[in-house]
Amino acid sequence: MTTTKELWENALVELELIISRPNFNTWFKDTHLIRVEDGAAHLGVPSQFARDWLSTKFHKDILHSLRSLSENIRTVEYVISRSSKKPVEEVRATAPTELPLETVHQKTNLNPRFTFSSFVVGPFNELAHAAAQAVIRKPGIAYNPLFIYGPTGLGKTHLIQAIGNHFRVNAPERKVQYLTSEKFSMDYVSSIQSGKVQWFKEKYRQYDILIMDDVQFLAKMEKTKEEFFHLFNYLHDGNKQLVFSSDQHPNMIQNLEERLKSRFNAGMIVSVTPPDHESRLAIIRTKAAQHNFFVGDDVMEYLATTVEGNVRELEGALNTLLIQFEMRGKPITVADAKILLRGAGAVAKKAISVQEVVKTIANFYGIEETSIYEKTRRKEVVRPRQVIMFLLREDFHISFPTIGDKLGGRDHTTVIHSCEKIKNDLHSDSLLNQEIHQIRLMLK
Amino acid sequence: MKFDCGIEQLLTAVSLANRFVERRANLPVLSSIFIAAEGGHLTLRATNLECGVEVSLPAKINKDGVVSVPGGILAGFLSNARGKSITGELVGGVLKLQTERVSASIKTTPHEDFPILPHVSASSSFTIKTADIARAIRSVAYCASTSAIKPELQSILLYAEAGKLITAATDSFRLAEKTVPLRSSGSVPQLLLPARNATELYRILETTTGEIEIYYNEHQISTHIGAVYYTSRLLDGAFPNYRQIVPKSFSTEAVVLREDMAQALKSLSIFADKSSQVSLSIDSSNKTVVLSSRNPDVGEQVSTLRATLSGEAVAMNFNGRYLADSLQAITGESVRLHSNGPGKPLLVKDASDDSFFYLAMPMNR
Repeated sequence: MTTTKELWENALVELELIISRPNFNTWFKDTHLIRVEDGAAHLGVPSQFARDWLSTKFHKDILHSLRSLSENIRTVEYVISRSSKKPVEEVRATAPTELPLETVHQKTNLNPRFTFSSFVVGPFNELAHAAAQAVIRKPGIAYNPLFIYGPTGLGKTHLIQAIGNHFRVNAPERKVQYLTSEKFSMDYVSSIQSGKVQWFKEKYRQYDILIMDDVQFLAKMEKTKEEFFHLFNYLHDGNKQLVFSSDQHPNMIQNLEERLKSRFNAGMIVSVTPPDHESRLAIIRTKAAQHNFFVGDDVMEYLATTVEGNVRELEGALNTLLIQFEMRGKPITVADAKILLRGAGAVAKKAISVQEVVKTIANFYGIEETSIYEKTRRKEVVRPRQVIMFLLREDFHISFPTIGDKLGGRDHTTVIHSCEKIKNDLHSDSLLNQEIHQIRLMLK
Repeated sequence: MKFDCGIEQLLTAVSLANRFVERRANLPVLSSIFIAAEGGHLTLRATNLECGVEVSLPAKINKDGVVSVPGGILAGFLSNARGKSITGELVGGVLKLQTERVSASIKTTPHEDFPILPHVSASSSFTIKTADIARAIRSVAYCASTSAIKPELQSILLYAEAGKLITAATDSFRLAEKTVPLRSSGSVPQLLLPARNATELYRILETTTGEIEIYYNEHQISTHIGAVYYTSRLLDGAFPNYRQIVPKSFSTEAVVLREDMAQALKSLSIFADKSSQVSLSIDSSNKTVVLSSRNPDVGEQVSTLRATLSGEAVAMNFNGRYLADSLQAITGESVRLHSNGPGKPLLVKDASDDSFFYLAMPMNR
């Protein structure tokens, strides 16, 4: 048996053929079939204008098309009902109920899994955590905007979503919205396509707490960036809390205008760094406890020492053990862990080639990778080249002659001079300090 | 169809109807005005499916008939036509218009597609003086929101209790409420009239005097104003319970001359910044209300108004336009400002008339 919704959809297909397009679009938009009862089809229409006109002008056509689909319909009743969404509710009632915890909260886009209670605080992220707590106590006043940056997989998303979840639960009157910069940009583009830019603006301007993930991607999108700038000003002027995350310090994001950088800088900028040994241990303990997974201290110790990368890798390694534990039903020993995680350790301690360093740093400064190897003395190339030499020497302990050789056959004295120069400049140049710090994070 | 009528009368009717045509319609006929010539009258009809209007005017009808023509073109032609009378004749698919000196032919649109205007059955209605309902709409309509996010705030609220009609509108930053007497007794449930349609109704009411009877049902209202029939859709929704946010007691009260304040706000707007911020401070020791605005690119202005005061000193920032808006609905000589300190809304009232109040939220910084 066809549902009333399908019946009406089929009828509309027929009506569309008989009635001119402008007429059809004007009058049959927002109509829906409410129910069929005792041979009468109850048709929901948006207004009295539509009711009067449909019943005088199109009644015959409507009745005819409905009868051809369902013989027992003899009349059509027109009812003014603006909520054409009613049939949707029926569908929802029969849909399987999902676990409330793991679903993303529809209105705020937040994942309820990310809370402060499941967030492990250690020296590597305690500043960011403290800033987030201050935001919760005094939203819009304490640190606005709050900008959290650091390499991937260190809990930035967890932290900023935890802020949102806190407000969602404890202050439901505040409108919270979490989204990624990509979603923001898609929304903007589709609002332009459908000519609803004003609606887009208003939608975002109503929020009390706006949380945006991965803002570095905004830098590439000119128009979105501009729209974001206005939204930022509007919300910031209204003392609405703004929280951002990025993989880089705002000053280091390529193609980001000064005006946006300075606005990010106006609030609080904190970094998260990869966790130290003790923190890794604490994270493993917390995650294991969440899954009711019992592992010995020696195994945890082993995990903390071998998997040195970010938290996500740590979780991955732990999940590998968890699955084995569930399958076998007996505790995991260090020996088991060694075999199971043979791959994981290798990933963590990756060896970095000179080319990779050059590539990363050239990207960072936004110059051609090949220009590093050339004999050019252009200023924008010389500085990055010196930074490369400095880092290769300081962090990777490569000999001066080898560095010179790898970077386009330069004399080892050139390399020594470069390293000295950067080392000296580091004392006075704070921007350079920031850049080096950022590059080191990227190379980890 | 063939008719003769006065240019002046036809122009008035066409310009009124033309305000109701839909300019960006899916259906081309909605940007047209429907004209029926019958029984000594021309009847003009226009609708954008939100609201609609029907105007009739006396005319000499030589031959009955109906036609629909693009509203913009007809209005444009008539507003430039000179002379006393005009003749119209439908020839084929073209409406020929002829004055003493000018003749024009306008291509018509298919009139069979022109919708009928809803009529509201006479069961529920209220009667009111046109001047009163006009005032009630004018006093609040500017407060309605322009944002489509909350459609209920794009409307003005109308309801009646104990022989009084109450209108209210808010965009959540400011709110206005006006009470006017009804001619009929009894009560009227809450009706949400879209603010744009309300403004059109106001513009019709403005030109007339006397009384009107307004018919309403759940979805629609309609009324006859002289030779004009007006109807509008009502919004289905609930207006926020605004009464509970209106403060009852105040820590500061100031009375200033309306003219002074209006003048000051007008010139302060020249110096106000992009957000039209105006600072208002009530100085209890000097018995003054000081209004100031400043724009780093332009300069600044400080206006000091003499005032009668009671209560504590207070200083707050407002959107200057919001303050100025409140004064347009006040006709008395002086204005009363009530405050409960920073961060709390400011209540503006006519000092000698309790039928209107205006609530404005201060700016955050």
